[in-house]
Amino acid sequence: MTHSYRELVIGGVLIAPLLSYAVATIALIVILRPVLHLVGFSNWFSNPPIAELSLYVAIFGLLTLLF
Amino acid sequence: MTSAVDRRPISFAGLPLSSWAFAIRIWSAIVLALYISFWLELEAPSSAAVTVTILALPTRGQVLEKAVFRLIATVIGVAASITIIGLFVQTGSLLLIAFAAWLGICVYTAGLLDGNRAYAAALSGYTIAIIAVQQIDNPQHVFESALARGAAITVGVLTVAVVNDLLSAPDHHPQLTAQLEALRRRIADYARRILNGEAMPAMTAVGLLRDIVALRPEIASLAAELNSGPARSAAARNVMVGLVAELFAARSLEMLPAAAQLRLREQVIAQLDGKPGGLASPSDVSLLEYQAKDSEPVAASLSWLAKYLIRTDGEVRRTLGDLSAGRRPPRAWHAPLYRSHRISAETAVRAAVYFLLAAAFFALSGWSSTEVSLSFVAIIIALGATTPDLRALTVMAVVAAPIASLMAGILEFVVLDGATTFPLLAIGLAPFMIGAALLMTLPNRILSALGRLNLVFILLLLAPSNPQTYNPQTFLFSALFLVLATGLLFVAEIVIPPASNDRRRHWLLASVRRDLHRLPSHREQELAPEEAMFRDAGRVAQILAAGSDVPQHRPAMEEAMAIFDQAATLRLCQVELDRLAQGPLRTEVDAAYNSLVKRDPGAIIASAHALSEAASIRDVSVADASAALVLASVTFTSPRLDAEFSAERRS
Repeated sequence: MTHSYRELVIGGVLIAPLLSYAVATIALIVILRPVLHLVGFSNWFSNPPIAELSLYVAIFGLLTLLF
Repeated sequence: MTSAVDRRPISFAGLPLSSWAFAIRIWSAIVLALYISFWLELEAPSSAAVTVTILALPTRGQVLEKAVFRLIATVIGVAASITIIGLFVQTGSLLLIAFAAWLGICVYTAGLLDGNRAYAAALSGYTIAIIAVQQIDNPQHVFESALARGAAITVGVLTVAVVNDLLSAPDHHPQLTAQLEALRRRIADYARRILNGEAMPAMTAVGLLRDIVALRPEIASLAAELNSGPARSAAARNVMVGLVAELFAARSLEMLPAAAQLRLREQVIAQLDGKPGGLASPSDVSLLEYQAKDSEPVAASLSWLAKYLIRTDGEVRRTLGDLSAGRRPPRAWHAPLYRSHRISAETAVRAAVYFLLAAAFFALSGWSSTEVSLSFVAIIIALGATTPDLRALTVMAVVAAPIASLMAGILEFVVLDGATTFPLLAIGLAPFMIGAALLMTLPNRILSALGRLNLVFILLLLAPSNPQTYNPQTFLFSALFLVLATGLLFVAEIVIPPASNDRRRHWLLASVRRDLHRLPSHREQELAPEEAMFRDAGRVAQILAAGSDVPQHRPAMEEAMAIFDQAATLRLCQVELDRLAQGPLRTEVDAAYNSLVKRDPGAIIASAHALSEAASIRDVSVADASAALVLASVTFTSPRLDAEFSAERRS
């Protein structure tokens, strides 16, 4: 089964689905940040920047898979 | 603790390992950005590499913040390009005037902001030069050109973010914490010397204020660092504002006669130094309070100030702890920036005129492909708005352009010389990119700026593409246009010089006096006294920047500092009086307000007495208000200027 991607259309300009997913992921990360700070996400890992990057990639992958 | 201080950074070839790591990170990011752009067959792959060089900053938070602003500013710049091209495409001269006006607006906005926000404003201005000016003869291609640039910038931003994460770019907060802690120690030392009866020159305080305020853009960029970033940024902001308030308290202690006779002097000093024997216990602080209530007015004011100093110092220490632990402080202070609309407007008008002069020159010359050179002019003008001195940047660009041309020429025609494989490009780029990035990390500001400009210019001139054309004519034209653009701007700045430092200083001092004249205002204050102090401190730093530390500028600096003290005292008085205004002492409070408006030291002292007497009848505590009024009366009679002159003569 092939996954069909819906393109975002703004004023007749087609926007690549990849871009919408990336922007949606950034929005989700911005919302998640205070929560992550509250639960002490950075303290669980020896290299928090890579953990945050992996989280970004995971959310991006999930969005692509589910929507 | 001492081992951390004694530990020397490991160095290689005379440069610390951290500088090498930074340079290699930049090179890897450039190579990766180029590889991805070639793979995606982007139209402007060199823009992705140039994005990396522009985002070449040593720590993650700074890079991420700048990247976000770069993306936002590109969107704004693209929208403006399409709109302006759409409106004025039929009329060439109007189109150029519209470009100049947009550039002026962006330079004006950049003048009102600082750090990466100012950069974003400048970028919105010069995006139009890259997209619209370069397509001035083919307006129908503006949209494609905008898309190509947007895609390339996105690739550049993502690459630099990923490379920084994977290669463990350092976080900024440990370094910032150390800098703020060092500043706190310097201020504690300043206060200690005042308590020991030393006369401190105003320039010492000005230097401290400048160093504190200079951290503002870095503190703002902390917010982008990890998920604890916003909390850390708020804590660091509180520290910065607290340090300015602490410095004000120390300076005010000097103004009050006989600061050296403060009864608890030793304890206050021990407290500031963080040694045992300080006023750690609440009973000692209440003793100060008791003393403040009981003794004669100046001593009471002195104790009140000492209490304010200790309280602020305690707050600074606590928030420094919050900063290292990544905790949000209970109360977040704003750190407002002083904005001079007049200076920004002057700079903006000049920016527009420089652009028009260059455009007129190219139009009259009748040469072909000069739009590339015009876009370079716009880029340097816009970036000049983010530095304190456009002239200095232009001179630096005039020097850097031929060096970069030579380097790019060697890279393209000697090192690569027709190579078509990607690994050869990556290896060829290494010495040039790593070398320029290493130059950037040097403490010498001229060499560092030269390194940054070279990093960007070499890539702009090489313009890596797939396949690389190796056309000597194209290269020569690009190099010529870059040198021509910098030279033309240099000449334009000689014809119409930027606003002189003397004028800037004059305007800033005039605004300082105007603001003091408005105090105390009966309206509710928008900012807490400490926040307003920080804004004033920013302006003092701007006055210092508009003139080097030479003896003939000292009177202006001393006046600025004296007004800084007076304004801060008046604001503290206002807070204390407003607290009493709702109570039974309204008549006395109004009298105190009037005496403050008149700036009459005798009347201010009399109003403080009247307030105390009325309070003793009505059983209200007015110790703080009365102490603040006494300080205000001393501030307006203080022979500080004379004392500072004599102190400087002695030193």
